[in-house]
Amino acid sequence: MQVDTRERFTFPAGVHPPDSKELTKDIAIKPLSAGKSVSIMLSQHIGSPCDALVEKKAQVEAGQKIGDADAFISAPVHSPVIGTVKDITLAPHVILGRGKAIVIESDTESPLEKEPVNNRFDSGFDASAYGQEQISEAVREAGIVGLGGAGFPTFVKILADQKQQREALIVNGCECEPYITCDYRVMLEWTYQMLAGIKLAARSCGCKNIYIAIEDNKPDAIAVVSEAVAKSEGSENMHVLAVKTKYPQGGERQLINSVLSQVVPTGKIPPMIGVVVMNVATAAAIAEAVVLDAPLTHRVVTVTGEGIANPGNYYVPIGTPVETLIEECGGLTEQAVRVILGGPMMGIAVADWAVPVTKTTGAITVLTPKEIGPKFHGKQTPCIRCGRCLQVCPEHLNPTSIAHAVRSDLLERAEQYYMSACIECGCCSYVCPANIELTGYIKTGKVLVAREKNRMP
Amino acid sequence: MSQEKRIVCRDERRGEFLTGTDRMPEQLTVSPSPHISKPLTTQRIMLDVVIALLPATLAGIVFFRSYAVVLIASCVITALAAEWICMKMLGRENSLGDMSAIVTALILALSLPPTLPWWAAVIGTAFAIVIGKMVFGGLGANVFNPAMVGRAFLTLSFGMMMTTWTVPATVDADMPEIELGGETVNAITQATPLSLSKDAIRGDIEADVVNNLLWPSFIGGVGGCVGETSTLMLLLGAVYLIWRKTIDLRIPAGILAAAFVIGAIAYLINPDSYISPVVHLTTGAMIFGAFFIATDPVTAPLTPRGMWVFGAGVGALTMVIRILGVYPEGIMLAVLFMNAMTPLLDGVFKWVPLGGAPDAK
Repeated sequence: MQVDTRERFTFPAGVHPPDSKELTKDIAIKPLSAGKSVSIMLSQHIGSPCDALVEKKAQVEAGQKIGDADAFISAPVHSPVIGTVKDITLAPHVILGRGKAIVIESDTESPLEKEPVNNRFDSGFDASAYGQEQISEAVREAGIVGLGGAGFPTFVKILADQKQQREALIVNGCECEPYITCDYRVMLEWTYQMLAGIKLAARSCGCKNIYIAIEDNKPDAIAVVSEAVAKSEGSENMHVLAVKTKYPQGGERQLINSVLSQVVPTGKIPPMIGVVVMNVATAAAIAEAVVLDAPLTHRVVTVTGEGIANPGNYYVPIGTPVETLIEECGGLTEQAVRVILGGPMMGIAVADWAVPVTKTTGAITVLTPKEIGPKFHGKQTPCIRCGRCLQVCPEHLNPTSIAHAVRSDLLERAEQYYMSACIECGCCSYVCPANIELTGYIKTGKVLVAREKNRMP
Repeated sequence: MSQEKRIVCRDERRGEFLTGTDRMPEQLTVSPSPHISKPLTTQRIMLDVVIALLPATLAGIVFFRSYAVVLIASCVITALAAEWICMKMLGRENSLGDMSAIVTALILALSLPPTLPWWAAVIGTAFAIVIGKMVFGGLGANVFNPAMVGRAFLTLSFGMMMTTWTVPATVDADMPEIELGGETVNAITQATPLSLSKDAIRGDIEADVVNNLLWPSFIGGVGGCVGETSTLMLLLGAVYLIWRKTIDLRIPAGILAAAFVIGAIAYLINPDSYISPVVHLTTGAMIFGAFFIATDPVTAPLTPRGMWVFGAGVGALTMVIRILGVYPEGIMLAVLFMNAMTPLLDGVFKWVPLGGAPDAK
């Protein structure tokens, strides 16, 4: 089939960081066993946190639902292992600082490895065997959330009907974040499973057109996916697009602009203009949940960076502590100075290695001072108003004015500069010649505003 | 609550919520995302400006010999000393490494008449750094272009010295007279093309006398400030700045376009009194001002539309002063005036998010 590579598949502004994907892009996904214990956070998604469904000392099965909430926007959590609930307690949480978690000590005598299920899918997959409600119900029960990073409960996105007809489904295979290759490997290795998930999602929400967007620095993935689409049955409305390699191309709002030339109004979400954006790994998880009735208990995590001894792509149980993963990958090298959950642009540096992998953790990146560059010394110099942050902001904001308002404790003024419209992509901090942590200030400002409104601890 | 808020806000290394460090190897650090950055620093930007000024500086030294060397040296040394003393008094970290003081000193030195005594240059530079920059809070906080503040101070204090122009050494330092368009102009203190243009406006000479100076004023060799005689050398530096993406082209484009249009209108009305618009662009500090002075990001607007208006304002005001004003040259006053307009321009041209302003506000 023809791959559409028109130059226009891009969005205004953005930056071009070195992609550094060669460390792991050719390493196949390898299943990894859980360590001694896993901590399943009760809040791994946007929406209400779950309540624990199990008691301390209870025996749990692999795949057993252990937490759920009544709220509409939420997603249940499941145990990835057979074992005993050791504790239900506060554990370090990558975003919240601390959050409630169910700690499960795994039963060492039972087999712990879960193999990927990609070989269960082929080109002949037919989504019409599944009802619309059946699909969204299975997706909810499996606890699937957006695996690209935001963690929005997927079933909410793919619910049929509602007031706004879903016109287009954009499958996000951009992976614009440097270093990370988990989605790339999923596209290459789990191609048919991903396509099955896409068909199921499209059937559930009734989308007319499906666009699979892949950045043009991944020609292999584009070739493999378009070949599979061509071979697949019922793929007439699927289009594979080679979008321009530019950060943050994989940002939901940017990708919609690139693919459909539509701008999502500030403060609105894509479904309000009839668009659903879904990560490729999410699509693969949907196929597994609907067809095999398997909950989301494992995900692909890229462990990468010059600071890690053996980088690779691993299929790991959700809840595995970062410490276990780093040990599995041969530990840190001598130059390692920073451990990041996620990629270098949007990931969060962790100070506590007990932090567990959650549904939204796509990578663990360990960086050396050389990779961090001038930012490593962390010396911020005065803003010279050069305006580079304004030029690169993909949301067309004024980062320096917002950041300086936050620094001066003027939260209202920060809001006047549309602080809440910031997508925290980090382009402004990336280009700032004065090394100012613009994104850091803006994130801080958002937290302070949320606290003032009592929305956050 | 307020106490806690203060800590999060003030501590620049803790934009995020992080727990204890007991499990972490000691060499590991944390910081807000992103964790990588473009290898471009403020220092590099300033260095680029200095590099871009080198051709014009060399031209100044070739044309004005020891005059130029003494002025440049006294300005640079004074600027560094003044900034060092100010930072010491403020109890702040030494900021000489960012090179902004050198940029200010170099721009000021290149905009001075060659015969200005060194002590006047020292006073002017000290004023530029201390009053023009440090009293506002140092780099990034000043409202007016520091070099132009220093130059304005000198113009007001030492008016005669600041308008005395010498003939370039290359023309002939020993000959007190040079030929200009068939006329002999008395010139150990030689008139600049722009002061001749004032004579033309008064009707004392023909405007063509100045128009014939187009080529010398382009390659260099007419009277004027240390750095502004050779348009060619300035353009060489400007090309470097554009290639390095150090300056935003909107400001110089706005200045040159506005100046050309106004110059052309005057020329079309009366070509006998008003010099050609092209000569307006190659004489005086037009190119120097457009690419090196007005582009100082600290004192120019942030938004693209603001930059256009800022540039057009500088260009138009310069021409108004050149054609109607008392002074033959107007770049300095035009830049200072538009610097004062910068906060206004930032406010007028609202920067709206891509998705529009949210409805519920």
